[in-house]
Amino acid sequence: MHLTSIMMATSLIIIFFLLAFPVLTSFSPHPLPSNWALTQVKTAVKWAFFISILPLCLFLNEGAETIITSWTWMNTHTFDVNISLKFDIYSIIFTPVALYVTWSILEFASWYMHADPNMNRFFKYLLIFLIAMIILVTANNMFQLFIGWEDVGIMSFLLIGWWYGRADANTAALQAVIYNRVGDIGLIFAMAWIATSLNSWEMQQMFTLSKDFDLTYPLIGLIVAATGKSAQFGLHPWLPSAMEGPTPVSALLHSSTMVVAGIFLLIRMSPMLENNQTALTICLCLGALTTLFTATCALTQNDIKKIVAFSTSSQLGLMMVTIGLNQPQLAFLHICTHAFFKAMLFLCSGSIIHSLNDEQDIRKMGGMHHLTPFTSSCLTIGSLALTGTPFLAGFFSKDAIIEALNTSYLNAWALFLTLLATSFTAIYSLRVIFFVSMGHPRFNPLSPINENNPTVINPIKRLAWGSIIAGLLITSNITPLKTPVMSMPLLLKTAALAVTIIGLLTALELASLTNKQYKPTPKLSPHHFSNMLGFFPMVIHRLTPKLNLALGQTIASQTIDQTWLEKIGPKATTTLNLPMITTTNNIQQGMIKTYLSLFFFTFGLALLLLLY
Amino acid sequence: MLKILLPTIMLVPTIWAVPAKYLWSTTLSYSLIISLISLTWLKSSAESGWSFLSPYMATDPLSTPLLALTCWLLPLMILASQNHTAPEPISRQRTYITLLTSLQIFLIMAFSATEVIMFYIMFEATLIPTLVIITRWGNQTERLNAGTYFLFYTLAGSLPLLVALLLLQNNTGTLSLLTLQYTPSMQLSSFADKLWWAGCLLAFLVKMPLYGAHLWLPKAHVEAPIAGSMVLAAVLLKLGGYGMMRMMIMLEPLTKELSYPFIIFALWGVIMTGSICLRQTDLKSLIAYSSVSHMGLVAAGILIQTSWGFTGALILMIAHGLTSSALFCLANTNYERTHSRTMILARGLQMVLPLMTAWWFIASLANLALPPLPNLMGELMIITSLFHWSWWTIALTGGGTLITAGYSLYMFLMTQRGPLPAHIISLDPTHSREHLLMALHLLPLILLISKPELIWGWTA
Repeated sequence: MHLTSIMMATSLIIIFFLLAFPVLTSFSPHPLPSNWALTQVKTAVKWAFFISILPLCLFLNEGAETIITSWTWMNTHTFDVNISLKFDIYSIIFTPVALYVTWSILEFASWYMHADPNMNRFFKYLLIFLIAMIILVTANNMFQLFIGWEDVGIMSFLLIGWWYGRADANTAALQAVIYNRVGDIGLIFAMAWIATSLNSWEMQQMFTLSKDFDLTYPLIGLIVAATGKSAQFGLHPWLPSAMEGPTPVSALLHSSTMVVAGIFLLIRMSPMLENNQTALTICLCLGALTTLFTATCALTQNDIKKIVAFSTSSQLGLMMVTIGLNQPQLAFLHICTHAFFKAMLFLCSGSIIHSLNDEQDIRKMGGMHHLTPFTSSCLTIGSLALTGTPFLAGFFSKDAIIEALNTSYLNAWALFLTLLATSFTAIYSLRVIFFVSMGHPRFNPLSPINENNPTVINPIKRLAWGSIIAGLLITSNITPLKTPVMSMPLLLKTAALAVTIIGLLTALELASLTNKQYKPTPKLSPHHFSNMLGFFPMVIHRLTPKLNLALGQTIASQTIDQTWLEKIGPKATTTLNLPMITTTNNIQQGMIKTYLSLFFFTFGLALLLLLY
Repeated sequence: MLKILLPTIMLVPTIWAVPAKYLWSTTLSYSLIISLISLTWLKSSAESGWSFLSPYMATDPLSTPLLALTCWLLPLMILASQNHTAPEPISRQRTYITLLTSLQIFLIMAFSATEVIMFYIMFEATLIPTLVIITRWGNQTERLNAGTYFLFYTLAGSLPLLVALLLLQNNTGTLSLLTLQYTPSMQLSSFADKLWWAGCLLAFLVKMPLYGAHLWLPKAHVEAPIAGSMVLAAVLLKLGGYGMMRMMIMLEPLTKELSYPFIIFALWGVIMTGSICLRQTDLKSLIAYSSVSHMGLVAAGILIQTSWGFTGALILMIAHGLTSSALFCLANTNYERTHSRTMILARGLQMVLPLMTAWWFIASLANLALPPLPNLMGELMIITSLFHWSWWTIALTGGGTLITAGYSLYMFLMTQRGPLPAHIISLDPTHSREHLLMALHLLPLILLISKPELIWGWTA
């Protein structure tokens, strides 16, 4: 084996070992020390990050990619499943990003969760969550990918339902798993199709063998899977509900694990996806719809975490649009930059929520810029990065996506929806800043405001650096796989920026309108639509369970099991046999007359037969 | 073969001779040693498939995992029954363990028989101890009804099998499993032949149980004591799957078309019984219905008759055996504390029994087939083989996985999460015995991840 690939493989396996070590040692029966979370888990993630720099440098320097296949796990005739790890551009870049972000989140969580008696367990869950994501990212066959895929789902179930005494948390956790399972049907469908048609789950073999097939159906399966995991339109309501979990969970779930898994799956499968126009168009339209719909929902929310959550959903829609544009690498770039500023936005809102005595409503905030200058500055930086302000992290990916969209010959409606959503981004970002940082305080006077704690400041600071320079670093170091369009009309070049600025100006104007009254009552129905999340959860969350539970109770249980199957099975046997038994039984009741008459009757009959 | 069978038979005199003080510990360790020795079957080097051959018995890759599971389950049943039989007089405790042991004797002979008739006799013989366990040791009067259902459903299915087997013996001259697949296939064309086909499979389909003939199962599970539920879910249902796989070889030309309605029934059953689970209030009934749902998948996998289907069915049978037995044990720990199977009466238990919650969680995850547990390997293989047969099955199997996840987590949330009701704050703490019991269920399941070819069946 070549020295470079040995170094890469070794360092990546060391990363796995480092991350798994605290989890494995935590199973020892001795109670964990109270600072285990910080000394073990955070340190493990930190060191894993530093080690992951090495393969990254090797990749940047030599373009080294490697695949390790070891140990045949299962084998049925010619079909075998191996343990096979893939370290290519995507996993090599994503792993350090995820580790860096998680390191910061864990440090923040040690402050956020310090009063929780089970903090060590919380950290263990977060760590397993991260490991599952890295398994998913480095998987080189569908089965391994499926392991990571399902495990992030289950870990999110545990983490969202962390405060298990609350009914809402349990509902949200269950909701996340059920929506993801709907998506999993798509993945299982695709896996079954691949197994039967291509006879291999190894990725490189799949890509080679799939050239001669019509891939539309399995790709639709994969898109459904990504819809579930990445909360695209139709299967999106679990993502805002997931806000029931603690803020560090939201930060991790939204930045570098779980929700980007769906997009990542499509990026992984892009060699199969790129030649199929139907699948690409579906991605494009689905993404555009998602990004606009969730941006609209974000406009009128009052819960700070919900706004940030919906903005994630909207950015995921944008990533899906990028997949639909057949630019998987750009989508990947957006995943990476998005991880930094989204994690930071959540940490900032977590810090503010804690400072205001667990108040999440932005209407009861205000003036935080004077009270928590660092946090609110970072909140602003994050929001600016999110809107794609030039030369912050979001700009390098988002602007490139919009440019690619503008210069493509694809669906103009999708383009329009995406641009609209981009301007909405500016609106809801401004709204958060306006309500949280600006103006006068609207909260209770005795709030425990204190951000001067290294475990708050440092993680946010690290992520702020990331949000500022990550985009530049990544774009200037990786080679684009597709030729970007470099020249275009000025209008198209500045479109992303222009719509953002228009959005910003509109929002400012609207904000000033709140102080003046022009109409007796404003028109409320658009507000209701946005505030009630398009009435989607109300319809779907009532109708589907109601139908299914009615099927279970009325049809399956009562009508079929307890009535019909009983009636035609055991009860029918009884009713058929009972008359005969009763007749025979009635005769034999010890009455000598009956017996004698029967005896003579048979005797006479036998006699008659004998005689003739 | 006799290395296992004779010690198991000798366990009966041991039960009656051992002093009362050592009854449970002796039988437990004795049966555990048997089960450890039985694991040597898994290491077979025979090229022909059959190993440990004796005149009447042998093991092959299909029966070995089931045999190991059977032997593994006896110590677990003894471990699980210790608490609830404690108030009984000592002779009754001895009788109870004897019954469980006799069940193991019959099951070993059933799974290792090389002759179909012997398999049939042992298949029927298992009914007797099970019936006694249900009707004598159950808790409520409904147990008598449950016993009747259990007996008559199974017998009504298996008596046609006897006729069918005698007919087969007449035609081929042998019923030895070693040679049966090499006998020339019969010319099956008439309507009576189709009836013969149905007769060969009906007994096993009822035993599985196939949706439609499943009414006996929830009743039996709900009314049986814990050991009965465990062995019923873990091994007795698997007799059906095992028998079907053995019979399938001889039914070759007819199965292709005739199995369609049964596959549809099995898959439809996955959805319907899953939906019933979503509405269950009774914990044991929920687990029982979930067994029907999983076994429906197994039945479909077998009827589809591909190597993927067979392999998936065997893996799922073993995995489901351990999982559902674990779930019944967990339900029993609740039952022994609250004396009720109703879920709403025992909720929020994470507060009082936190380590039990971990077991509940792992068992629920196994039930919903979390990768890479063997449950998923089995389900995925069955789903794939069904998908190969018809694309539309993904609607039923995929819907089934969704519903399975729904009710498994519903069960977990309902029993473990949420606030603790005030009426159950003074529960007994968990015993090490119970934790050992759960660990012995779930550790094999987790360890099987690393070497799944042990339960891979013929295609390993």
